[in-house]
Amino acid sequence: MALRSIYRGLKKNNLLSPLCNSCSHLHSHSTSFGYKEVREEEKSQMVGNVFTSVASSYDLMNDLMSGGLHRLWKERLVSKLNPFPGMKHLDVAGGTGDVAFRILESINNVGRRAMRDIHDDNVLDETQIFVCDINPNMLNVGKKRAQERGFGDNKSLVWVEGDAEALKFEDGSMDGYTIAFGIRNVTHIEKALAEAHRVLKRGGRFLCLELSHVELPIFKDLYDYYSFSVIPALGELVAGDRESYQYLVESVRRFPSQEKFAKMIAEAGFDKVEYENLVGGVVAIHSGLKF
Amino acid sequence: MYRSAARRLLPAVCRRTGHFRSKAFPVRFSAPIIHPAAFSAAAASENARNHKLNNFEASNSSSSSSSNEGRKPRVTDRPKAHWQEEQARVLQASLRHVISLGWSDAAMIAGAREVGVSPSIVGSFPRKEAALVEFFMDDCLQRLIDIIDLKEDLTNLIPSNRVAKLVRIRLEMQAPYISKWPQALSIQAQPSNIATSFKQRAMLVDEIWHAAGDESTDIDWYVKRTVLGGIYSTTEIYMLTDTSPGFAHLLSVVDFRDTWAFLDERVREAFDLKKTVQEENLDSVPY
Repeated sequence: MALRSIYRGLKKNNLLSPLCNSCSHLHSHSTSFGYKEVREEEKSQMVGNVFTSVASSYDLMNDLMSGGLHRLWKERLVSKLNPFPGMKHLDVAGGTGDVAFRILESINNVGRRAMRDIHDDNVLDETQIFVCDINPNMLNVGKKRAQERGFGDNKSLVWVEGDAEALKFEDGSMDGYTIAFGIRNVTHIEKALAEAHRVLKRGGRFLCLELSHVELPIFKDLYDYYSFSVIPALGELVAGDRESYQYLVESVRRFPSQEKFAKMIAEAGFDKVEYENLVGGVVAIHSGLKF
Repeated sequence: MYRSAARRLLPAVCRRTGHFRSKAFPVRFSAPIIHPAAFSAAAASENARNHKLNNFEASNSSSSSSSNEGRKPRVTDRPKAHWQEEQARVLQASLRHVISLGWSDAAMIAGAREVGVSPSIVGSFPRKEAALVEFFMDDCLQRLIDIIDLKEDLTNLIPSNRVAKLVRIRLEMQAPYISKWPQALSIQAQPSNIATSFKQRAMLVDEIWHAAGDESTDIDWYVKRTVLGGIYSTTEIYMLTDTSPGFAHLLSVVDFRDTWAFLDERVREAFDLKKTVQEENLDSVPY
């Protein structure tokens, strides 16, 4: 009797499933693209378009928008990471390679070399830094910059095209995972966090550098004025693309607050979740440990 | 705990203006040393600062326990401070590498590799090498407390000998690391680390006096600990350059005989000074 009722139940579900498939188009989840509401499937396409168009002037625009501060923020991120020789590191959405270059330089720098012993030198060759980005244009800009900096032939730097929500790396294969100014462009943040948790080894660290929320009273108004008035105008002037920079500014506002994001990271399974505000909250570095 | 030390000091200062001899009983530093997690100064300050972390831990374990309903609830079985235990294990393993690599990143990376954890964890220690040194200091203090609890023959000695013996036991724990100890001292003296190292030394000195049977309830309490802190520090520094050979000790060639002689002298001087001060006070009482 029980078996028959279960079977009937299953059949009912089978009958309903074609209906459900047609329903799925009506009930597809929508997500935010800046202040616009768009369908999830569309978001990654639209983000892709944004970055394809800004790729060539991405670094110049970063310098102009942040007044060169973005370099300091990335330095801080890398020093928090504390890279070591033989490290396997994954930098997601790291298209133009800023963070990856800094990590490589930190591992190879002369000061460290002085303190090393023989074992470290052998292990140095095992260092691997993967730069993963969903947009091939950004990766190309990155490879060009690597050539200019002298990392063109460096075996440690590996450029990979991939999606933060579906990484092609094995479980527990990375010592470190960083994502700088990339996670707000991801459609499903929880999936990206879950993937980060999956690929990290035990003891591995997750670090996220992202534009975040400012709460200080007067500074907040100044920052809002700067974001909405100055940045899109700069985008138009320098990159010839006002829309993309409007999206950028809006997406920062839509991103969860520091506390909420930290909670999301903890829910993905990370321990010791902390965040550090830089410039009063304009930028925040969230970190977590995997055990 | 630093905050509670300030709380204790302030009332004593206030009362001194009111009465000459305050009857307040300063709560011992050693009182909170019951729960091993709370005992560690580093962990305590971290717990106070990162209060929000506990909320995340709670939500983390509750959300994962709800998703693990069918399976064995492994996450909920783990205590909340799991990552703290792991960090402690890494630090414990790192200590074994200190003698060859110093109190540095390299020792901690080696320690992490030994335990089977990714060396990235080293970046998560708040002040890296300082975390290792502080862990060692806490560990030594815990071992000293265990020794005090076990040793019954302390009561047979006169107070000055008791104090000297306890300081000697504690300093002998540092003996294996003596070649790298100057580095540890310089790490402790750095501005960002000095608050914690002061706190740890205060706890150590308090513990020694407590074991020596100190029951003072007034300004004496602070004087004794300050003086012992001074004796401990000077002996520690003396030990750094002591190369006196011991008896045919199987494990170590250097036995620090001169250091112990120095220590005994200093302790005796301190107690003599105390007697002199007491005599002075008695003499000055009007008749």
